[in-house]
Amino acid sequence: MAEISPPPPQTLRDLLAEVHLRLIVFAVILAAAGLTVSGVIVMRGYAQRNLTLVAHSVAYTIEPAIAFQDRQAISDGLRQVGAVPGVRAVDVVDPQGRTMASWVGQGGAWPDWLIDGGNALIWPEPTVVPVYHGETLVARVRIIGNSADMLRYILAALVIALACIGVAVLATRILAGRLRRDIIEPLEFVAEVAHSVRTERAFEKRIPSSGIAEIDRFGQDFNALLAELQGWHAGLTSENAELHRRATHDSLTGLGNREYFELALAGAIAKAERTGTPFVLLFFDIDQFKAINDEHGHTSGDAMLIAVGERMRGAIRDVDIAFRLGGDEFAVLLAPQPGRVHADIVVSRIRKAMIAPIRLPSGLWQIATLSVGMAIYPADGATTETLVNHADQAMYVDKRSRRDRPNNQGGASNDV
Amino acid sequence: MNNIFRILGPVALVSSIPLLGAADMPLGAGISGGDPFAGAVARTVKAIVDYTRWPQKKGLLTFCVAGDARHASQIGSWRTAAGQEVQRSNVAAQGSALGGCDIVYIGSIPVAAQRHLTAATRGKGVLTIAEADPVNASEAMFALDYQPQSLSFRLNIDAVSRSGLRIDPRVLRIAKVRY
Repeated sequence: MAEISPPPPQTLRDLLAEVHLRLIVFAVILAAAGLTVSGVIVMRGYAQRNLTLVAHSVAYTIEPAIAFQDRQAISDGLRQVGAVPGVRAVDVVDPQGRTMASWVGQGGAWPDWLIDGGNALIWPEPTVVPVYHGETLVARVRIIGNSADMLRYILAALVIALACIGVAVLATRILAGRLRRDIIEPLEFVAEVAHSVRTERAFEKRIPSSGIAEIDRFGQDFNALLAELQGWHAGLTSENAELHRRATHDSLTGLGNREYFELALAGAIAKAERTGTPFVLLFFDIDQFKAINDEHGHTSGDAMLIAVGERMRGAIRDVDIAFRLGGDEFAVLLAPQPGRVHADIVVSRIRKAMIAPIRLPSGLWQIATLSVGMAIYPADGATTETLVNHADQAMYVDKRSRRDRPNNQGGASNDV
Repeated sequence: MNNIFRILGPVALVSSIPLLGAADMPLGAGISGGDPFAGAVARTVKAIVDYTRWPQKKGLLTFCVAGDARHASQIGSWRTAAGQEVQRSNVAAQGSALGGCDIVYIGSIPVAAQRHLTAATRGKGVLTIAEADPVNASEAMFALDYQPQSLSFRLNIDAVSRSGLRIDPRVLRIAKVRY
C-alpha cells in the first residue's frame, strides 16, 4: 500500500530560529530600503539646490563676459565656477540654442555609463538658469548633476544592509542557542519525563525548575499530575495485590486456598518436567475436627484452624508453600529436592509444632493431631489428579492406622 | 595709428570668418562697410557703462566724445541695461569742456592731451575710456585693445580706484591686462 508519509514535524527551535531570522532580515531590509530611499530623496534635494546655486553662480560670473562677447572669458568663467564636484556637465547656450561654451567633468572612479544612467534616473532634465543682461535674455546656463555621490551612498547602504543581515544571522544563531538552553531543553526534559512515565511507569520522576516562570508553572502542574498519577498507580497496585491475595488465599488462616493450590501444583509439575527434579506433596487433616467443632462450637473450630495454619507455616521453609484446601484439610507443597529425607524432616517439624495445646475461646485447651499423606512426583504420580489422589489416600491410610490405636486419639504423636 | 588699423581691419575680417564661423561674435565688421571696429567698440563701451556705478543714481548719463574719435561712429544715444538714458555729446579735447560729462570717450588724440583730460576728470565720478592708447600712457580707466579677431580692453586699476566710480569686479576679471 503506497502511503505518502507526512514530512517530519518541525522542531520548535528551528521554527523560532526561522521566525527570528525572517523577522530580522525583513526589518533590516525595510530599514535599509527606507533609509536609502529617503536618503536619496534628501540628497537629491540638496544636490538639486546645489546645481541651481552653481548655475546661478555661472550665470552671474559669465554675464559680463557675454555682454562683452568675450568667448574666452565665458569659457574661463564656466570652468572656474561650474567645474566643481557634483556637477557632471555645464554649458552656456545663446537664446537661439547655440552652444557658447561647455564643460564636461570626468566620471572619476565610476564608469561613465553608470554615472550617466544614474543622472538620467535622478535628473531626467538638466537644470536651466537664464542669464539676463539688464532685462534682455542673453544666454541660458544648462547644468547636469553628478550622481556619483548618490551612487556611492546607495552602494554604502547596500553594503551596510548586507553586513546587518550577516550580523542578524549570527545573532539569530546565538538567540536560538539561548532559546534552546532556556526553553527548549526544559520542554524536551518534560517530554522525556512524560515518555519514560508512559513507557516505564516511572511515576517517581519529576521535572526540575528551569528558571522560566511559564515553564516552571507548567512543570509544577505536570509534577503535581505525576504525583497524583503515582498515588493512583500505587493504590491500584496495592489494591490489585490485595485482590490477588484474596483470590489466592484463605481468609481465615491466611494460607493459600484451593485455587492457588491447584495453580501452584500445576506449576510445580511443569517445572519438575522441565528440570527433572522431583518434589513432594503433603496432605494434612485434623483428627476428630468434626467432634471438636460440634462439642466446642464453630469459633473453637476456627481457632483450631487458625492455630494449626500458623504453626504449619512456621514449621516449613520459605521455599515451601502451605495451603488450606477447605474444612480441616491442609496441604504443603515442598520445593523440588531429590529424595524424601527432607520431606520426612518437614513432617516431623510440623508434628512437633502441634504438640503444644491450643487455647480455645472457651478457655479450654485442646491438642490438634494431624493425619499426613505424602505423594512424591514423579514416583507416586505425574499429574495433579494422581498426585492429589495418592496423597489423599495416603492420608486416610494414616488416619485409619491411628484410629486403630485409641491411645493416640486426641494426643500428640510423632508417628507418621 | 590710423594706418595700422587700415591694415589690420581687412586681415581681421578675412581671418575671422573661416576660423570662428557664424556662432562666433564678429567684430561687427562689414555692417557699416567702413570701420570694422565700430560695432565692437560700441558694444564694448556700452557694456563697460552697464557695469559702472555712479555714486549718485542718475537717470541720464552724458556720453562725451572728446576729440577726434575714429571708431565711435556706432555710438549714439542709448539706454543702459539698468534703464539709464545715455546721450552722446561731442566735446573739444580740453579739460574745461568736460563739465557735465559722466563718460568721456577719449578719441585718437596725442598722449599728452589724453593725460590732460584724464587729470581733469580724476576723482569727479567720470568714466574715462581711451580709444587709442596702445602703451597705457593715457591714465584713462579703460583703454580699448584691438586684436586681429576681437576687441578687448585694458584696465588701469589706479585710475579706477581714483575715479570715485564703482566698476563691477566681474569686469575687472574680463580685462585682458590690468595695471
